[in-house]
This record gives sequence, C-alpha cells and structure tokens, in this order.
Amino acid sequence: MSSNSQAPINHEEVRQMLDHHQDKMKTALRVCAHCSLCADSCFLYHVHDKDPRYMPSHKVINSLGKLYKKKGKIDRAGFEEISEIVWRRCVLCTRCYCPLGIDIPEMIAFARSICRSQDVYFQWSDLEQPAE
Amino acid sequence: MFGEMSMYDFIRGPLVWIAFLVFILGTIYQVVRFYRLSRPKERYQVRVPFGKPPKEPDESPAEPELTWWQCVKLSVVGVNPVMVSVTTVFHLALVLTPLFVLGHNVLLDLAWHASLPSLPEAVADGLTMIVIAGGIFFLLRRIFVDRVRAISTAYDYVVLLIATAPFITGFLAYHHLFDYDTVILLHMLAGEIMLMAVPFTKLVHMPYFFINRFVLVHENTLGTGGSRIWR
Repeated sequence: MSSNSQAPINHEEVRQMLDHHQDKMKTALRVCAHCSLCADSCFLYHVHDKDPRYMPSHKVINSLGKLYKKKGKIDRAGFEEISEIVWRRCVLCTRCYCPLGIDIPEMIAFARSICRSQDVYFQWSDLEQPAE
Repeated sequence: MFGEMSMYDFIRGPLVWIAFLVFILGTIYQVVRFYRLSRPKERYQVRVPFGKPPKEPDESPAEPELTWWQCVKLSVVGVNPVMVSVTTVFHLALVLTPLFVLGHNVLLDLAWHASLPSLPEAVADGLTMIVIAGGIFFLLRRIFVDRVRAISTAYDYVVLLIATAPFITGFLAYHHLFDYDTVILLHMLAGEIMLMAVPFTKLVHMPYFFINRFVLVHENTLGTGGSRIWR
C-alpha cells in the first residue's frame, strides 16, 4: 500500500467529495444496524478464519464511516490505514449481502476514490513476491 | 402553557402528540428525502442508436439447477437460521404488539370512540416477553460474538435499550411489579422516546428496510424488482 506523494492531505478536497455524496452515504451508514449478517457473504472473511476485520460492515465503518465521522480530517497515515482496508481487505467482487439492502461495494468504491484523490492507492509492486 | 402541568400530565398528554408528530413527520421526511435523492430507473436504460444490437451467441455453460432446498441453504436464512428467525419474530412482535394490546386500545376507545381489535391479554403478554427475549438475545450476541462486538459501539446498546424499554416497562406495569405509577410513567416515556427516535437514529432502518428492499433497484431487491435508483 503506498502513497505516491508525501504532500499533506488536502482536507478541503476530501470534505467536498464527502459532502457531494453525504446524503446517500450517511443514510447508508445510519441504516446499517450493525447486525453482522453481511459477514458470511464475504469470501475473504472465510479465507481469513472469520477475522471480523474482513466483514463487509467492518470495512465500511472503518473506512468511509471513519472519513465521515472525522469530517475528512485524517492524516496521511490514517489514509494509508483506510487504503489497506479498501484495497487489501476488499477486492470489490460485489458479492456482499446486506439484509437491509445497503450497497456496500459502492461505499467501498467511493472510499477508494477519496484515497486516490489524495494519491493514496494500491500498488501491485507492494505485493509480497512468492518464494522462488 | 405547561406552567401548572405536572411531569405526569405532560408525559401522558402533550408529549404523546409530540412523539406521534415527530414519528410521522420524521418518517415522511425520510421517505421524501429518499425520493429526492433517487430517480426512476428508466433514466438509466441504455439507448441503442442504430436498431437492436446483434444477439451474441450464448456460449456460457448452463448453470447447474438447484433445488429449492439448496437455494434456501445458500441464502441468508440457511446460513444464519437462528439469527434470521429471532430477528423476524422480534421485529414482527415489536411492531404488532403495541397496536393490538388491550390497554392501548382501551385508551384509544376512551379518546376517540374507535380502536383496533385487541389481542387476548395472555397473547400480548407472551409477545411482550418475545420482544424482551429477543432484546436479550441481541444484547448477548453483541457482547459475546466476536464479529458483532467488533462493530458495536455504545450507540448500538443505547438503540437496543430504546427499542426494548417500552416492552420491559410495559411488562413490569402489566404485572404490577415495582411501583405502578412510576413504571407506567416510565412506560409512556419509553414509548414516546422510541417513536421520536425512529426517524433520526439507527432505528431509521424501519422505513428504510422497505425502501431498500422493495423500491431501490439492486441485486437483492424483493417483489417486482424495485423502481428507483440513487441519483
């Protein structure tokens, strides 16, 4: 996971992106009942021995939810953590299921867009190379 | 206006109206807000400018046919049968019990000379206990199940308390446990707080359950497949 830049986060730009979608995204975050029924629909959750951090709702709450909660005022290290969640813990396979119908992939994709806008994104070169 | 009014009179009088107004207007606000944030799905239909696109040969392998039982086993019902059963019964009892409990309908009849049919008291008492038991189930789940605890905050516990408090106090009042006057006051207050909380807290999943499941178009839409998409 990398930043291509060490420039400070442009909080104003982040806030504008958040504001642009806030009605829809904040509604989705509020509608989430924290029931955890989405967990079993994520293959990464199962692959990682049912680690709660791979649960779709956990990923949304700790990425986009965190951005809204802090009104976008997150430093670069915080963005690195979010990018770890939205790229390494989610492959956007869009298979996640929410009993309340929340569009989880769209929220993860939006969090990715915000990260990209600050030059924080996944780089394939960061992947560990398999042993020869 | 409320100068001479006691707390008891306020909770059993104006606050009832305020609670219902906040609940009804707040819910209408949420529904209208959804309609302003969404649009009919037709606007997203792809227009083909020069006639119909050529039909591509279907070379995908035939999907394996599943029996209805296999479909159930693969669905959320099959994967989480206990949780789905408990939550379904809990929510049905939570909505229906207050509407058909005898005490509420007697009050309605006294005020408006009109009321809904009433359940036998023993049945209403049983439904109340089901709601309380469901609340305890959700509480224990939130405390002891790793994946639920991982996303739980103090707010989730408060919301659970708001949803179950009217039933706990209603049960205590019906069985005349503790001081009746205090308990019935707390029961009215708890019900009013719950009504006012629905449109503006996580309990907004009540109206949004129907919006998300029947109106919004997405893969898991039920019924006719939905009619609206987000703007």
